[in-house]
Amino acid sequence: MWNYEKKLEYPVKIKRPDPAAAKVIITQFGGPDGELGAAMRYLSQRYTAPTPEVKAILNDIGTEELGHMEMICSIVYQLTRNLTPKEIKESGFDAYFVDHTNGLYPTQASGYPFSAQIFQSTGDPIADLSEDMGAEQKARLTYDNILRLVDDPDVRDVIKFLREREIVHFQRFGEALRLVTDKLDAKNFYAFNPSFDGKK
Amino acid sequence: MSDREKLLKKVQMYKFAVTDAALFLDTHPDCAQALGYFNKYRKLLKEAEEAYEKTYGPLEICSEQNASRWAWVDGPFPWELSANL
Repeated sequence: MWNYEKKLEYPVKIKRPDPAAAKVIITQFGGPDGELGAAMRYLSQRYTAPTPEVKAILNDIGTEELGHMEMICSIVYQLTRNLTPKEIKESGFDAYFVDHTNGLYPTQASGYPFSAQIFQSTGDPIADLSEDMGAEQKARLTYDNILRLVDDPDVRDVIKFLREREIVHFQRFGEALRLVTDKLDAKNFYAFNPSFDGKK
Repeated sequence: MSDREKLLKKVQMYKFAVTDAALFLDTHPDCAQALGYFNKYRKLLKEAEEAYEKTYGPLEICSEQNASRWAWVDGPFPWELSANL
């Protein structure tokens, strides 16, 4: 069960609309390494996690990712307010606008809609946590690319916060993976799936 | 920075400390130092939330501020620019 907190995890206050920036940043809503996929990945994987620590970290990082999805959506929402049809056409935001107006729809920057095919939930904690570490790095590099493309300090400040969280999550997933392997045979971590084989 | 933004920033700052400490504790549940840090900021968070809510309305459905009037429905909502100023 989740409760809503009526605030963002970190403030989003963008003074100047910039639909061209919104077009690339939206990929962190519905793209392959975006926050929606991250939340769904961890919150799906948690059920079969082998130990309480791993269940907790998947639960709590998955929950934080929902808050990050909200921050990304807030950025896109604020970047696309009060636009004229001329501004929409000139910025290239028209291809999105024609289907969604200013509504928030989870999509990649290219326009490809969000797909659950971008993540896995394998029921094998070594495979899942290895994917999770990769996912955090891919999100980190996407934020690095956004920082290469966006100049507005109001936007960059929020993107830098989100980028930093990817690094912290990567660290926590690394610790979770170690907690799993510490309980396995060091000579062959893959001898069995601790979430499936040998259940009592 | 408005008085509202100052109080909100405090809530966000302490909540962030609590969130980050909780993730660390998930993988280090026996770390007394981290638990001490968590408890310190949990208390500061509670005080900051109460101070904010008294003037600017509920942050959560179960807030005291909803008891006599349904203030939950009052804007602005967090994604709006004015909620962050």
